[in-house]
Amino acid sequence: MPANKSEILQGTLDLMVLKTLDAMGPLHGYGIARRIEQISEEALRINQGTIYASLVRLLHMRWISGAWGTSENNRKAKFYSITKSGQKQLHAEAQNWKRISTVIGRVLRIVER
Amino acid sequence: MFTPFRSVNAFASRIRAWLSPRRVDQDFQHELQAHLDLLTDENISRGMSPEEARRAARIRLGGATQLAETNRELRGLPLLETLFQDLRHALRMLRKSPGFAAVVVLTLALGIGANTAIFTLVHAILLKALPVGDPKSLYRLGDKDDCCLNPGLDNENGEVDIFSYDLYRYLRETTPEFENLAAMQAGPNVIGVRRGSNTQAQQSEFVSGNYFATFGVGAFAGHLFTDVDDRPDAPPVAVMSYQAWQSVYDGDPSVIGATFYLQSQPVTLVGIAPPGFFGDRITSNPPAFWIPLSAEPLLTRANSVLRHPDEAWLYAIGRVKPATSVNALQQKISANLRLWLLTQDSYTRNGGAARIPKLHVVLSPGGAGIQSLQQQSAKKLYLLLAVSGLVLLIACANVANLLLARSTKRKAEIAVRIALGSARSRLIRQMLTESLLLGGLGGLAGLTVAYAGTRAILALAFPDSPHNAIHATPSLAVLGFAFLVSLSTGVLFGIVPAWIISRGDPAEALRGMNRSIGDRASLPQKSLIIFQVALSLVLLVGAGLLTRSLRKMEHQDFGLQTNNRYVLHLDPAAAGYPPEKLDTLYRALERDFAAIPGMQTSAVALFTPMDGNQWVFQANIPGRPLPEPDDHHKELLNRVTPNFFAAIGQPVIRGRGFTEADNAPNSRFVAVVNQAFADKFFPNQDPIGLHFGSYDQEDIGAYEIVGVVANAKYTDPRDAAKPMFFRPLSQWQHELKDPTAVSIETQSHYVGSIIMKFRDTPRNLGALVSAALERVDPNLTVIDLHSLDFQLEGTFNQERLIARLTTLFGLLTLVVASVGLYGITSYQVTQRTREIGLRMAFGANRQRVIGLMLRGTLIQLVLGLALGVPIALVAAHYIADQLFIVKSNDPVSLSLAILALCAAAVIAAIFPARRASKVDPMIALRQD
Repeated sequence: MPANKSEILQGTLDLMVLKTLDAMGPLHGYGIARRIEQISEEALRINQGTIYASLVRLLHMRWISGAWGTSENNRKAKFYSITKSGQKQLHAEAQNWKRISTVIGRVLRIVER
Repeated sequence: MFTPFRSVNAFASRIRAWLSPRRVDQDFQHELQAHLDLLTDENISRGMSPEEARRAARIRLGGATQLAETNRELRGLPLLETLFQDLRHALRMLRKSPGFAAVVVLTLALGIGANTAIFTLVHAILLKALPVGDPKSLYRLGDKDDCCLNPGLDNENGEVDIFSYDLYRYLRETTPEFENLAAMQAGPNVIGVRRGSNTQAQQSEFVSGNYFATFGVGAFAGHLFTDVDDRPDAPPVAVMSYQAWQSVYDGDPSVIGATFYLQSQPVTLVGIAPPGFFGDRITSNPPAFWIPLSAEPLLTRANSVLRHPDEAWLYAIGRVKPATSVNALQQKISANLRLWLLTQDSYTRNGGAARIPKLHVVLSPGGAGIQSLQQQSAKKLYLLLAVSGLVLLIACANVANLLLARSTKRKAEIAVRIALGSARSRLIRQMLTESLLLGGLGGLAGLTVAYAGTRAILALAFPDSPHNAIHATPSLAVLGFAFLVSLSTGVLFGIVPAWIISRGDPAEALRGMNRSIGDRASLPQKSLIIFQVALSLVLLVGAGLLTRSLRKMEHQDFGLQTNNRYVLHLDPAAAGYPPEKLDTLYRALERDFAAIPGMQTSAVALFTPMDGNQWVFQANIPGRPLPEPDDHHKELLNRVTPNFFAAIGQPVIRGRGFTEADNAPNSRFVAVVNQAFADKFFPNQDPIGLHFGSYDQEDIGAYEIVGVVANAKYTDPRDAAKPMFFRPLSQWQHELKDPTAVSIETQSHYVGSIIMKFRDTPRNLGALVSAALERVDPNLTVIDLHSLDFQLEGTFNQERLIARLTTLFGLLTLVVASVGLYGITSYQVTQRTREIGLRMAFGANRQRVIGLMLRGTLIQLVLGLALGVPIALVAAHYIADQLFIVKSNDPVSLSLAILALCAAAVIAAIFPARRASKVDPMIALRQD
């Protein structure tokens, strides 16, 4: 896996996980993966295992926290929820993302001309 | 994004995970299982069979092992973790092959130990500054060791390094750029030290009162003397070194303030110097006592040189004030020096004034003190460093080869691991970890070797030095050096095998496993062997040259006989003898020594061959112009009693030696000269009956030559015998007027040695000699007593040490290289067993097989020699100046080295080759 590609993916995935947890409340890994796939209308079919790398990274940064609980169909699963600092981070990252996408959009328009 | 606080959080959580890896792993497994179950549920609800649903779920989630690995890497401290894993693995591998590990660690211990030992010496002698305050601002006036030439002031370059007391005072007063300018005695000075009834010979040094202030050291106990104590009217004081205080007086505090009798004169000991301070130079015999210059006339009495402006005997080191231009200061001191010299009659007369404009002083950094030992030993130390560097290279090459052979053996294992998905980077890291571990173990073992080695080297190089200022204890720099060497060694010999592994194709290796026919030793292995052979040859040639040179030196004809001959050193001045009592003393000594049982003949002499003393004069022949003042080819003088030539075994070849008649009062002044003297001044002439003098205008033609003795070497064993003349000890030139001449004539009556020739040596020689000396005068002390052989051999201590070390290293590397050759040959035999079996099945006989196996080894040997001979010749060229008589391209050393290597190679290769020839073709073909 070339490093540059994965890096973009990582950052984006982390952001998506944060946003999902912010919007949906506590969720387990499976739920997060399903939710991201649904939202992206199955355009983004991720290898579901990669979600866990993202979760570990976010846990390290204390942007999310995890606790064992019981799922809707009565299975033991680990539930993750966003923390205060996670919300702050999400806000900042979302702003950042918007800015970058605007800038890139502008640059692309210039190139097209 | 990464604020420090957050990365600290992340790090803390990683540490926690690292500390309990099992719990974290289990937790993660449960989580994945839950995920799988949920996915499976979903798939079933979509109508899949449970079997299908589980399979699809697993694909969706990805490889469980890889996920666990990623998780571990993300959670724990991956670098540290893999390092520990690799270390554990490496240790396991080493435990599995203890023989291999032992050989590698021993080889490395030899290489690293040799280097660390030599570096300890290099560091202790060449790289250390004196243990004083701010050594950088210290400067020395002069930079050479022109010690004690009498009355020489400047060397061949017109540089002045050594000063008279008056000149020192003048320079000190005219250069305010120095905060302090200290003077110290240039030559060694053994004095008699008595406290109570205990008399001992100890090293001492006369120094200026500001000596300790200049170096910025304070007293350990009591106080150190200052300029106030260095005045003509000041009561005599002394300071003792900490080491002498500890070893001679057991750290007894009552010695401070006590009265010591130095050269039989009462002196108050005012203090102890700090523990690390050993004086102004690194030496194997640092002074035990420092005494102010003002006490010199009292202690040396008739031999005093303090008040002689033309006797240069002091070195000078000063501390410059901040922001002083050293260049300008050097110009100024040189100018002042010339001004002062022009006012001195003894330097301007006899055409000397013409030379003064050429004289100058060179300021050199003085932080390391007087660098005489450094200048003497630098070249030898660097030679040893080069030799030990070669040893290390050979050791590395050998270990690399062993590792290579092993990694080839592990080829299959590694191929399997690569096929199973091991990352190559991880494999390389593992190989490097293994070699670094070996390097580290070798380094540890090497430190032990180094410590023992340094101690042994110091003991061999400087016997008879109880307070040696050079220590064998490894310093921080040495430890760092050893660590660095071990580390780079590990990388050096680990890199080749690791590189080869990284290029291996697993499929090919697996296919070829156990079935290699043409697979011979790889190119790197062969190159390493060639490299080892070449370097071993260089070492062996060096060892041969140095050993042969030493042999030539030791077995040269000194012009003396040594059998049953002993030399006793003593110091009548230390016992307080005034000049007028010396004749009586010498007569008593001759009489009482003649009575020692077994004594054949004994004589008293100013000095004896190779005891480190020399007296240099200029002989003047009447009617010939006086020699130029800058003529540095002077003559040696020795003053002896009549039996001397018989006692030392130097034959009289013309005329006569000295007799009792020469001892008579008012007898005419006579001299015996050696052949070199006769050849220099009276070629094609019979010197008997001719005259010469030795005090310039003072005594033209004073002595009549009555005999010629054969040449004998008294000073440098490398040079031809110097022109030399002998005068009877009992004759005094009372007519001399010049105060310096009078002083020198007096000093030349204070002898230093007694030479004894026994019929057969009594067993209790030491006790008999001490008793005889005590009968003459209990105040006389034995400074030392050795056989004449010992004394002559002593001058070669360092040469012997270097020759032996090089030989030792050479032989060890020969063994190491042989082990390498043996290893590679037996490796080839194993690899080619099937081929050998085939060949034998087709009718090859044993000789052919042996020949086949030997051929490869011999080709490497020849290539190694072809590479090694030119390198050896170039290397030998660099040590040419260390060699005596032996030429650097000495064919004997070269052929001996080649022969030794060939013999070792053949022996190393013949055993595996014979083993190959005993291969049973049937068994070999059925193999694998």
